[in-house]
Order: sequence, then C-alpha cells, then structure tokens
Amino acid sequence: MSNIVEAEGLTKLYGEKVTAVDNISFTVKDGEVFGFLGPNGAGKSTTIKMLTTLASITSGKASVAGFDVVKDPSAVRRSIGIVPQELTADDELKGTENLVLAARLHHVSGSEIRAKSKEMLKLFDLEDASERRVRTYSGGMRRRLQMAMGLVHSPKILFLDEPTLGLDIQTRTKVWQYIHLLNKEHGLTVFMTTHYLEEADGLCDRIAIIDHGIIKVSDTPSRLKEQFGGEVLTLTISGDEDLTDFLRTVPDVGDVTLVGRVFKLKVTKTENALPVIIEGVTRRGLKVTDISSSRPKLDDVFLEVTGRSMRGGEGGGESWVQNMNMGRSTS
Amino acid sequence: MLGNDFFALTGRALRKWIRNPAAVMPGFFMALFFLVLFGNSLNPTSLIPTNFGGFHPTAAQLAMIKIDLLAQYFSSAPTYISFLTAGIICLILVFNMGFGGIDLVLDRQNGFLNTLLSAPISRASIFFSGVVQNILKVLSLAFITFIIALILPNGLELGSGFGILDFLGVFGTFILLAFGISCVFTALALSVKSIDSLIAIVNFATFPLIFASTALFPQAGSPIWLLDISDVNPISKASDAARLLMINGGNLTSTQLNAFGLDIAYLVAFTVAVTVLGYLAARKALAPK
Repeated sequence: MSNIVEAEGLTKLYGEKVTAVDNISFTVKDGEVFGFLGPNGAGKSTTIKMLTTLASITSGKASVAGFDVVKDPSAVRRSIGIVPQELTADDELKGTENLVLAARLHHVSGSEIRAKSKEMLKLFDLEDASERRVRTYSGGMRRRLQMAMGLVHSPKILFLDEPTLGLDIQTRTKVWQYIHLLNKEHGLTVFMTTHYLEEADGLCDRIAIIDHGIIKVSDTPSRLKEQFGGEVLTLTISGDEDLTDFLRTVPDVGDVTLVGRVFKLKVTKTENALPVIIEGVTRRGLKVTDISSSRPKLDDVFLEVTGRSMRGGEGGGESWVQNMNMGRSTS
Repeated sequence: MLGNDFFALTGRALRKWIRNPAAVMPGFFMALFFLVLFGNSLNPTSLIPTNFGGFHPTAAQLAMIKIDLLAQYFSSAPTYISFLTAGIICLILVFNMGFGGIDLVLDRQNGFLNTLLSAPISRASIFFSGVVQNILKVLSLAFITFIIALILPNGLELGSGFGILDFLGVFGTFILLAFGISCVFTALALSVKSIDSLIAIVNFATFPLIFASTALFPQAGSPIWLLDISDVNPISKASDAARLLMINGGNLTSTQLNAFGLDIAYLVAFTVAVTVLGYLAARKALAPK
C-alpha cells in the first residue's frame, strides 16, 4: 500500500517562541482511516492546516497525494476534500445549490456537476431535502451535507475535523457508518481528528497521538492497547486522602492516575496487587467503595501518553479553521 | 478557471442577497432619508430671507435670487436636489461599499473562506468576486436613489436633452468610483479578523472622505486646506462629473466637456491604482500564514 500523506520533520513556529508542531514525521497509507488525536493545543490542527495548504511550513516537508504542499499547493488542493468542524454550508442556499457550488469551486466539469450532486445527496440521504434551504436543516443534516460537499469532487483523501462533535448519539452513529462506508466500499483515505476515543478506536486503521507538537505514539489501536499491557484497575476510595504514592508502591502496579476520587491503576497482575491495595486502604481507616477491572482502552493509552484525559477536552474541540480565522498561534 | 470561480462566487453572493430583502431595505430607506432630509434641511434656497433690512423682495425677485444662488454656487442646478443627487448617490455607494465587506468577514469567521482557500480556486477570483458583488448590490441602490430623486417634489430635474448616453455616462462614472472604492474595502475586509474592526475603519475612513469632497457641499466657502483635499478626492471627481451630466444633459460646453474628461481620467487612474494595490493586499491577506 503506497503512502498518500508523507510528512518528514514537519515543524511550525509561530513567532520565535511558540512551537506548535515540533519536527514530526508520519505517513498515511492510501485507503486507510488515520486518526490524529491529541489534547487541545497539541498541534493536530496546525498539522492539518499545513497538509491542506492553509498554513505555511517553517521547516520539514510534506506531500499529499504525491504533491509537495509547498511546491505544488494547487495540485494538493485538487486532491483533497475537507470537512471542517464548522458548518460552512450556506444557510440561504438550498442543499443542491451548496453542492453545486462546492463542485464548481473544485472544477468538476459542467456535465458531471448535476450527476455528482445527485449521487452525494443519495449517498447521504438528503434527496428529500435537496430543494430546501439549509437554514431549515437539522444539525445532523447539515453535518451530512458538509460531508457531501467535501466529497462531491471525488477527492483522493478526505480530511475530517471532529466530524461528530456536538452531534447526538444517533447522528454520530450515522456519521460513523458513512465514514466506514466511504472507506471500505469507496476506498477513500480518511484523515480525521476526533475527541471521541471510542470513535477513533472503532473507525481508524491507525492512529497517532500528538502532544505539545510531538507525535508520542503511532500505531493501530489494537497494538497500542497491547503495548499498554496488563489491565486497568479502577478504584473508588472513601475520604479525600490522596493515596497515589501508596498505590505506586504496590507490587505489579504501574502508572496511577487520580481523576476526581477515582484511581486508575495500570496493573500487570490483578490477583497479586488487589489484596495489598485493600489491606493498605483498610489500614488507613478507608474503604474501597467501588472496584472494576477492564482490558485497556484507547482512553487509557491516551492518558498514559499525554498525562491528560481526553474527556477533559471534550466540547472544547479546537478547529483548524477556527484557529486560522482567529490567527492564533495554537494548534 | 478564473471565470468559473469568479462566477460561482459572485452567483452565490447575489443569490443570498436577493433572497434576503431585509438586507436591501436599509439601503432603500437610507437613500430616501438622505434625499428628503438633506434635500430640505441643507437646502440653501430655503434660507433666502424675505426681509433684507426692511426691503421685502417680490416673489419674482426671490425666484431670481434663488436661481442666482444655485447658478453661482451649486453648478447651475435647477433645484437643490438636482445638485445633491449625485453626491447622495456617491455617499450611498461609499457607505454601502464599506459595510458590504461584512459578508467577507463573516465568511472568514464561519470558516467558508478557509474552505475556499483549501479549494483549487484562483485567489484573484475571491478578491474580484468580492469587488463585483459589492458593486452590483450598490449600483441597484444608486439606481433606486436616482429614481427617488426624480419622483420627489422639487427633486432632480435632468438637463434638457438628457438621453441614454448621458444616463450611461452618469452610471459609468458611479461604476468607476464604486470599483475603486470596492477594491479598497474588499482588500480591507479580507485583511481584518472581526466585524468590529471593519466597522471602525469604515466609519473612520468614509466620513472624512464624504465631507472632504464636493458630494454634499459646493467648494465655495470651504477653507483652502479643505479645497486641497477635496480637489484630489475621487468622490469629488465622481460627484462633479455625474452632476455635470445630470444638470446639463447632452448640452455640455467645451469647457464642461473638458472638465468632465479630466474628472473621468482621474477616476480611471485612481481605480487602476487601487485595483492593483487592493489585489496585492488581498493576495497577501489570503496567503498561508
């Protein structure tokens, strides 16, 4: 499988002091769904801005669909589709008109525009609403139209920025189905950012976790979870005492994180660790009020890699479009 | 491809505009308001006293004074609104051009501009469609203002022999001014990040531009420093040229024709210069940062 995105030593500095992206290298294979995960300000949006020719590159190089993003930005733009987090479909235009506009701006030939628009309306179940103005659309319909607009010119790779942020669970599931369909049945390469780790886990062939402008890990979700190793023990303990130091001394316990009153422990052998933990807690006059054990999830990998919970960033999802608009130096 | 991109973007803007009559109405009322308000409150002929230190001129004498006043200071206009109409249209053009940039700032804020920038379209099409959509919107207001001025009592009285060529000359003049001003404000709108900044700059720029011109007042009586500014102000050139045609119709003397030609030449030079500068500024504003 050839690489459709290649980034080598990609760096972005804003001014002299802010390093938004710090010498990252990665590839995206043709036909895969690649998830780019990271907390707010990690550098994922800046990376996407550079790959989609919206931001200049300080150093390093990148190519998309075989074209250098600096030397041949027009060819890159012809090859990509973008579904930004913002709903940029025009409220005063009808669904069809928005699609035709998107097709014309991507130079789809006159004879193909209508056919491609119809195909997209059908694919995203918008045929009945095609002659209605977008301001009458629900949030889910707008999101679907946005995806249709990103695909109407048959791009080689689709960049999705937080495709399901703010959507209800039914609509979110529907969007996942579309992404899956586009990838598996139409062979489309998808590069997506998301704050929902279960979304990345379920959809992505490979993911990269970026933090402070540096890619911390990159692999398939299953391999990342395997590398995490062992199990995750989740304990709720009465009282306000921080037992992190004690828990770290327990045999077979690796990392310990405290979220609220819930301790999350990376444990290699639960049967060895648990009696010691309960004994230690009881000795301190406290009680374990809740306990559960699970196989590691992507959330646990993320937490270990970044030291932060992705949940903390939920709802405050950044967007490369927004960042570009505000001219901020964060990513 | 420039043409395709340009027409696609301009078509989008005009569709939105036509479907939103609320956006047109303020311009219509602005035209009516300025013509009626300025046409009456600033009308110098209504200030001619009927008592000159005990001397009471007859109605015929008052009419003569009025004619002389308009002839000496107001380009020989038959009525004050005949003098004022060209200036009011310029005022409406400039104000609406400035605020027309709000749509472009909104496009930036809601992400549409970045959608355009990530599409394989010419950057020139973004700039020129912004310029032209503004002109088309504003010219319709200019036409409405022209019609209102004609309908108003004591309103615009066109010179005898005013024909289709004169009409085209008047609106050609307005188009020249509109193109130049639109280039300035479109480049500005593509460069600023917020509507507040745009409004502040537009207000700061348009008031001095309008009031330091011959759009609303004749040059007579103005201080020398203001005359110097007024002389190089493109709004003065457009007002004077359009006014000359409106008042004199097809009967321009060679002196008037010469003045008209100089005003138009000045406007062409201004428009070419700001088109080049505006495009360069817009290209810089749209370049990846």
